[in-house]
Amino acid sequence: MAALPRRIIKETQRLLQEPVPGISAVPDDSNARYFHVIVTGPEDSPFEGGLFKLELFLPEDYPMSAPKVRFITQIYHPNIDRLGRICLDILKDKWSPALQIRTVLLSIQALLSAPNPDDPLANDVAELWKVNEAEAIRNAKEWTRKYAMDN
Amino acid sequence: MEQFEQLLTCAICLDRYRNPKLLPCQHSFCMEPCLEGLVDYVRRQVKCPECRAEHRIPYQGVQGFPTNVTLQRFLELHIEITGELPDPTSGQIMERCNVCSEKAYCSFCFHCDKKVCPDCKGAHMDILRREICRINNQIRRSIHRLQDSLSLVERNTQSIQTNCSSVSEEVEEIYRRLSKALKDRTDYLRGEVDRYLCTELRTLTGLKENLEQEISNILSNCDLADKHINESVDWDDCELMDAKEIFLKTVEFIRNFEYENSDYGRKVRLILAHDPNQLVLHVAGFGDLNIAHQQFGGGSALLQPPGGGPGLMRSKSDHRLASQFRQQEERGYDKSYGEGGQEDLPLGGRKFGDRTTRPTTANTDRYDRYGRGGATDYGDEYEETTRPARSRYRSRFNRHAPAENDSDTEPATRGVRFSEQHKEKERTLDTEEVTRGPLSGIQRLADSPRVMKKLQENETNKKKEKENPPLQPTTPPKATQPTVKKPPLANRQVSEDDEISKIKKQNKGATTSTAPPEPSPTVTVTKRSDDVEDRHANTRRTPAPEAASSDEDSDASESSVQQTQRKTTKTPVVNRRTPAPEPAPTHKKATRSTSSDSTTSTESSASSAIRSGAAPEETKPKYTPRVTDTTPERTRALSTSTPKGSSNQKTFQSRFLPNRTPTVVPTPPSPKEPESSSEEETESEEESDEDTPKPTGTADMSKTDIGALLARSAHARDSSDSSPKKDEPQNTRSRYEDSPTTYSRTRSNEEPTYTSRFMNKNRTPSTTTDDTKTSDDTDKYSSPKSRYSALKDRRQRLARSKSSHAFGDDDETDEPISPTTANPTAYMQSRGYSSTTSANDLARSRSSHALKSRENSPDRTTANEKDGAALSSWARYLKNKYGNRSSGKDKDSGSGTGTSSGSSASAARRLSLGLPLRSSDVGSSDDDQKNMSGSPTTPTAVTVAAAGIAAAAAGTSPKEQYLQKSNLLFKIGGRGSEPGLFTWPRGVAVGPDNSIVVADSSNHRVQVFDANGNFLKEFGQYGNGEGEFDCLAGVAINRIGQFIIADRYNHRIQVFDPSGRFLRSFGSQGAADGRFNYPWGITTDALGFIYVCDKENHRVQVFQSDGTFVGKFGSMGNKPGHLEHPHYIAVSNTNRVIVSDSNNHRIQIFDVNGKVLSTFGSEGSNEGQFKFPRGVAVDDQGFICVADSGNNRIQIFHPDGTFLKAFGSWGSGDGEFKGLEGIAVTPNGNILLCDRENHRIQVF
Repeated sequence: MAALPRRIIKETQRLLQEPVPGISAVPDDSNARYFHVIVTGPEDSPFEGGLFKLELFLPEDYPMSAPKVRFITQIYHPNIDRLGRICLDILKDKWSPALQIRTVLLSIQALLSAPNPDDPLANDVAELWKVNEAEAIRNAKEWTRKYAMDN
Repeated sequence: MEQFEQLLTCAICLDRYRNPKLLPCQHSFCMEPCLEGLVDYVRRQVKCPECRAEHRIPYQGVQGFPTNVTLQRFLELHIEITGELPDPTSGQIMERCNVCSEKAYCSFCFHCDKKVCPDCKGAHMDILRREICRINNQIRRSIHRLQDSLSLVERNTQSIQTNCSSVSEEVEEIYRRLSKALKDRTDYLRGEVDRYLCTELRTLTGLKENLEQEISNILSNCDLADKHINESVDWDDCELMDAKEIFLKTVEFIRNFEYENSDYGRKVRLILAHDPNQLVLHVAGFGDLNIAHQQFGGGSALLQPPGGGPGLMRSKSDHRLASQFRQQEERGYDKSYGEGGQEDLPLGGRKFGDRTTRPTTANTDRYDRYGRGGATDYGDEYEETTRPARSRYRSRFNRHAPAENDSDTEPATRGVRFSEQHKEKERTLDTEEVTRGPLSGIQRLADSPRVMKKLQENETNKKKEKENPPLQPTTPPKATQPTVKKPPLANRQVSEDDEISKIKKQNKGATTSTAPPEPSPTVTVTKRSDDVEDRHANTRRTPAPEAASSDEDSDASESSVQQTQRKTTKTPVVNRRTPAPEPAPTHKKATRSTSSDSTTSTESSASSAIRSGAAPEETKPKYTPRVTDTTPERTRALSTSTPKGSSNQKTFQSRFLPNRTPTVVPTPPSPKEPESSSEEETESEEESDEDTPKPTGTADMSKTDIGALLARSAHARDSSDSSPKKDEPQNTRSRYEDSPTTYSRTRSNEEPTYTSRFMNKNRTPSTTTDDTKTSDDTDKYSSPKSRYSALKDRRQRLARSKSSHAFGDDDETDEPISPTTANPTAYMQSRGYSSTTSANDLARSRSSHALKSRENSPDRTTANEKDGAALSSWARYLKNKYGNRSSGKDKDSGSGTGTSSGSSASAARRLSLGLPLRSSDVGSSDDDQKNMSGSPTTPTAVTVAAAGIAAAAAGTSPKEQYLQKSNLLFKIGGRGSEPGLFTWPRGVAVGPDNSIVVADSSNHRVQVFDANGNFLKEFGQYGNGEGEFDCLAGVAINRIGQFIIADRYNHRIQVFDPSGRFLRSFGSQGAADGRFNYPWGITTDALGFIYVCDKENHRVQVFQSDGTFVGKFGSMGNKPGHLEHPHYIAVSNTNRVIVSDSNNHRIQIFDVNGKVLSTFGSEGSNEGQFKFPRGVAVDDQGFICVADSGNNRIQIFHPDGTFLKAFGSWGSGDGEFKGLEGIAVTPNGNILLCDRENHRIQVF
């Protein structure tokens, strides 16, 4: 495997040295491009108090292409499906090399704060979110308690 | 400030801007690789990462965007403010790394000859360091080779000194003896002449006086008669009668006196036994120094530079190899220098620049100093070494590596190349005032200024660290703080990546207060090595604090390791430490593979060295001054045989006959002395004065006061006096010089067994040798009379040369000796002489082999036994072979001069080979050399040979002889284990005395029969000890009657003396040189080389008669030159090696080099086709007999391989076969055949 690009090293160092509040990202022991991420549920959101595990992988041509991020912890969110895949524009076509791991993770945290049911990935959740937001939020809280608070 | 820095950071690479380009949207990014990576090549657009604005890319690409000059100024300003070092890569252009294909600021890597990125380069340097360690270990382990060599060289020095001194002593001795002999003889001859002159003068003056008186008397008588015998004086009748009587008497006296008169006209002539010129020549060249070339045994393939002939290279000593290596190296430099001349400067410069950046930072000063400046300063050699084109390293190394460091075969070519390259580089660094190995040109690293400087730097760095230890805690945090959180991770990160590139910088902050020998460095070092993964894991699991510190430690250790590596001589403590931890990872791998290599190589080199050491020593005893001992003995031998000749001179000395005839066997000379002297007395006064025991004139020559040497050659010459073969004395002489000791041994020690045998046997060959000597052509054989007459002539000359006045008047009566009596006399005489010479020859030739092995073996040096035989190298061997052959051709052409020169040359060569000389160098033709003249021959052999020659003379060509074959002459044996019976006989061979030798395979013995098939003897039994066999296959007899046996299941060759006693064995199972896998057929050539069909190795191996491996050829396959299960082998006298390539159903003929000359036959049962041919034999005309095993028939081919005749079929009757094995042809053209399944030998 080719040596790590300097940018990844720098980002990693910075992540470790100046962690973003509520986000921790630690590279894997065996693969420096693979990060174990824990995002805390943002305040004033149904996910508050939850610790959401994610995995983040920096592809070969990072930063020219977006990192791959996926929720490991189950989450009740219209833009995140059962498999943990995230529907977020900056992870797709709106990716920019100027973005970083920390910005991506911040975006994801923001996504938790502001679900966007108009661009759904989990259709049933999005439906419920549109039709009965309260129930959806209740579900989300329940899931958070159920899946994101045990450990 | 923080923000200021942030502004100077590219958003993409998060590094300081390098060559910032301004996009139309006013955002700036590094041109490479950031902006480059953003390009959408399809749409030729770039999308700003910050604002997502899309911009068309200018025509010339992203370079076309304007540079953000403002930003650049800020960057410069920032540098000024902070005092940061400029980015080393600024101003450079990014390239693709040739290893990881990442875009990076690549620099040249000497390890892989490519431009690579810093990361890869770091990794490579790491590899290099490890490889150095490994190779260093190998060197340490193999350094003893050099030490061995050193001790060998010392020993050799001694031995060569003793050798030379003994040789010079010997020369001195010879000189003294020669000069004494010459002086003695001169004095004697002068005395003789003087004495003769006196006597003759006395008699002549007496005679003169008498005559004068007579004349005066007679004249006065005449006068008186004229005057007074007439009428005037009165004489009475009585007086007249008296006067008449007186006058009559005078008349009678005058008439009779004439005859006597002639007797006084004799002159003294100096008769030289030799042509004086020749004598001078002999004396002038009375000895030659034969420099023994040492022989390298097989298995030294490592020493063998590729491309060289196997034998030739092997004969080179280590030392020579080394110097050769150096020459090549230098040549390589020259070449590369010449070729890469123009491109050198930039290339060399870049290399230098790179190299200087490697250890520290980019330093243009250094670049100049070490690079260009150095190149000009250091002169030629420097340039040569700097300039070699990279690609050449590899090939050059291949050539040299084995010589330089043979245990290097194990590491991959990279490592190997590296070792060379490393030295190379060091050389380029500091060729100038470095101590260098005189042989290899390897320099002492510690002496090179560059290395010293580096070490010093390191030292100072370390000191600095030591001075301010408090610094340590402050520096680590920068790197290690996060590691507290996740130690292994950080550790890993740093060690793998950052650290490598930063090593040098961090050296400053890195050191530990602890001394380098602290164990922690070792841990980190091992951790760093990728190879040792498990260790890696271990260390990663180590507790956090230690791991944290190990991060720093690794740097420290790195530096310390580097340091210790470089200054191995400076700090002993460090020195001792480093090898211990460092080798650890490499040891396991290296030892495993290299140890075997190195041991074999050392083995071979050691053995070769030993041999080389032994060679000079062993030649010594050959020339020992024991010569003196032999003289009396030899003279005795001569004296014993000469009387024999003289004893037969019954015509004039019949009274001695009864005494003389019984002295056929040597008798002490003393009893003869009175006899001969008395005999002399009767013959002449003068001779009786001498105390010569010899009766004849020629015998005079062998008087003891003459050098025995001269006497011998005198005999030899005498016996061949009338022949044109002038070189015979030379041969005998040189022979004499060659093996005096052994000869003396024969005479003294082996008397009971050998002397009698020699006396009996040699008689006959001597006659033949005499024949060949005296006659140029074979037709002389058919007319023996001419020879007799020649001998008679000689005899008469002898008589004449003797002072014939001794015979006096009696001579008249002796003269009419009838031819019948005279001829036998002369014949016996000559025979006596020649038998002496040949006896000596044979004694010597025998001694040189049989005796040598027997007698010298107690000395325990097997090398000793090899003596001269081992002196020859393969090349020499070839030369000899061809030399021999050409001389053979000369002989065939029948030119006398050619013969003599050729044969003398071949004799000399044979001498140099240490091989036995034949009693006659000139066989009548090449053909019968082997059988006829080479070895102790029984009378039958002579007759057979004579018959063969007669047949040839009569015009019976062997071809016709073969065409008439197919009728069984007789057969031997049947199934059984009693003597004379066989169980699966395989090999068969014909001994020099025409005996039939059979390898009785499953009875594990050799049986010998006489030419008529009568059982003579057997030897050998089952087992694997000495003289024991396990299903022996091939058998061969060399010219001196030794049996050479292919002991098949014991995978070895055994050699036995003519009486069947074990002499030696060689070989064991294996595929290496000199090892066998079921050796089968075996044969030997005129020079004693042994050819073995190594059946399961599908090859033929060639050995010297002592078992020294000489060469091999053939490999598995069916192409020409390939062999598959070669079974039997034969060598013609024209040195064609004929092999039955059994599983390829063909016969292949090789030359002695193993080059295929021709191939014939294919699978089938037609004429000229074979099915599993086995035995092959070749006769003296080159006709080839093949035992076509699968077809159960014999096929005979012309020398060119064309079919001549086939006979035989399956069955058990006469002339029928079941499973053919070996085949042999006797000198008289009989074909011997091993009929295996019928357990018998058939003779056709």
